[in-house]
Amino acid sequence: MDQLVTDLKSRIIETLKLQDITPGQIDENAPLFGSGLGLDSIDALELVVMLEKHYGIVIKDIEEGRPAFASVHALAEFIRAKQPTK
Amino acid sequence: MSNIAVVATSSVTPADVSRYQFGSRFGRMDPVCQLGLTAVEALGVKFGSRADIGVIVATNAGSLTTDVQYWRTRNEPGGVSPSLFIYTLPSSVTGEIAIRHGLTGPNLCLLGGCDQVLGEAAEWLRHGEATGCVCVECDVVATDAGELAGVPVVARAWAAFLQRGGGGIPLTENDRDLRSLCARVRA
Amino acid sequence: MGGALEIAIAGCGAVSAVGADVAGLREAIRNNTSGLRPVPRFTGAAFQSNIVGATTVEGEDPIYELADRALREARHEAAGRLENIPPARIGLVLATTKANIEALERLTEDRPCAVSARRHWQAQWLAEDLAAAHGAAGPVQCVSVACISGMLAISQGAKLLQRDLADAVLVVGADCLSRFIVAGFSSLKALDPLGCRPFDRDRAGLSAGEAGAAVVLVRGEGATTIAGWGGSNDANHLTGPSRDGSGLALAIQRALDAARLKPRDIGYVNAHGTGTPYNDAMESLALRTIFGNACPPVSASKGMFGHTLGAAGVLETIVCVVAATERCLPGTPRLTTPVMAEVLHVPQTGARVRHSLKLGTGFGGVNAALVVRHE
Repeated sequence: MDQLVTDLKSRIIETLKLQDITPGQIDENAPLFGSGLGLDSIDALELVVMLEKHYGIVIKDIEEGRPAFASVHALAEFIRAKQPTK
Repeated sequence: MSNIAVVATSSVTPADVSRYQFGSRFGRMDPVCQLGLTAVEALGVKFGSRADIGVIVATNAGSLTTDVQYWRTRNEPGGVSPSLFIYTLPSSVTGEIAIRHGLTGPNLCLLGGCDQVLGEAAEWLRHGEATGCVCVECDVVATDAGELAGVPVVARAWAAFLQRGGGGIPLTENDRDLRSLCARVRA
Repeated sequence: MGGALEIAIAGCGAVSAVGADVAGLREAIRNNTSGLRPVPRFTGAAFQSNIVGATTVEGEDPIYELADRALREARHEAAGRLENIPPARIGLVLATTKANIEALERLTEDRPCAVSARRHWQAQWLAEDLAAAHGAAGPVQCVSVACISGMLAISQGAKLLQRDLADAVLVVGADCLSRFIVAGFSSLKALDPLGCRPFDRDRAGLSAGEAGAAVVLVRGEGATTIAGWGGSNDANHLTGPSRDGSGLALAIQRALDAARLKPRDIGYVNAHGTGTPYNDAMESLALRTIFGNACPPVSASKGMFGHTLGAAGVLETIVCVVAATERCLPGTPRLTTPVMAEVLHVPQTGARVRHSLKLGTGFGGVNAALVVRHE
């Protein structure tokens, strides 16, 4: 499996302090918000901080980040697009 | 106050938190919310979907520990934690209790008002502002925060559910704080 | 829900971005001015906006200064009603969300922090010290329920009088501007970089503010009385307001019932109006639910002095008092294109209002409504 996707799953669990969920239980194509993991707007903001902290990506407007938070897969693609050299 | 009944009481410490299931978002909450929710869970009361149940929380230290933890995140790349910021509101525990149990009655959070909680609850019930009231006293102070602010380290919570009429132990004029009420009910 | 026994506002005091007293607030209402300004200490990557509602108060214990000055002014105006009341029958209710959070910043940065400044990080100790300094030896309460704290402090004060636990209650709301708060709201992407524009089509967030605001409550008649109040919780989400406004509508209905009034009895609404997209949309829906197409004039005052958090409910209730006394319904400073036709752009003079409705909502899903009667 894609290393970035694997890393992201662990980071999401750690950042959002998700309990009783393992990286293996997260479907990288499933929606992150609403149903699925049950994440909300506060979690989205916390993920914005995580992106800056670990990937150096600054999101000024939460709307800009919205497509990236569609799924773990979308988030990985978003990070790659912002970091073409890595 | 003879028409106000103490339906249930509870007394908890952090060791009790793991006895209940709160869902995957529980980990995000600060220790005050976690312990406060545990105290309410330990009441073992099913509130149903009653719109007129209020929540009163009293806390001496409020969000002190979370204040310190949040402010520490300012030096990290990416800046302060938004979720920790939300829990620097002392009343977030009141909100979490209302959300978990679907209680749409009035809310009150008193800082340092531990001996005022039962009197306020009794007023709500007597004047029909609520027909039931979840009362909580909750304090969590970690070592570093306690030293910084000069307050004692603690992690305890008490809760009671009061109701107008119905079954339960009658609330008396002498009942002021949850700690003593819980002790009296147990005795 | 509360009401019945008459509780009068005998004096008001206000220190905010539009002035060091109620006279300054009155001028700002008349002229529809905004006190929001860029402040250098909130410039930088940690802050979404440096446009805030700042006062001239600074130092180690700014919240004490703000509360103390507001209390002085309110007690001065109420002196006639207070003179024969013994200290043991004077209570104090403090509303604050973060008390002297300045102390945390100083203690963690090795900057000077006096013992009293550190002590006032704990809100109840701040309340005790304010009570001692202002001759209130009766019951002391400290209310902290997010952005409705000030409104709840007024209803708690009224209840102390109704329960005959005091003959007068000094109600004071205060919060000071801090990097703690401004960085926090920035992390929530809740600040409007251009400064808040409540009820504007293009609104993009709130502006942080600071204030000390005080009212003296006494039993009996007066030019302004508290007619009723109501509270509720959305029981939905910690930060997101309910999308349909039902929680706030429930609080308004509870307040109207307590005051034994109908929606048509309300002549003016001072909205919570933070300027965040969701709050103002939710509030508009709640107003439609209660008033339908007969909504009285509405204004939001946070474009004037910012979101003053724990002080907001008291400060904006004072706005209602000034509006009725001056017969000048406030405009909504910084508004360009209103989302509701009833929102006043500019002040409306000459109108006589018998009942004002003050609204508040906050994190934790809380809602509050207060009905004020004007003679």
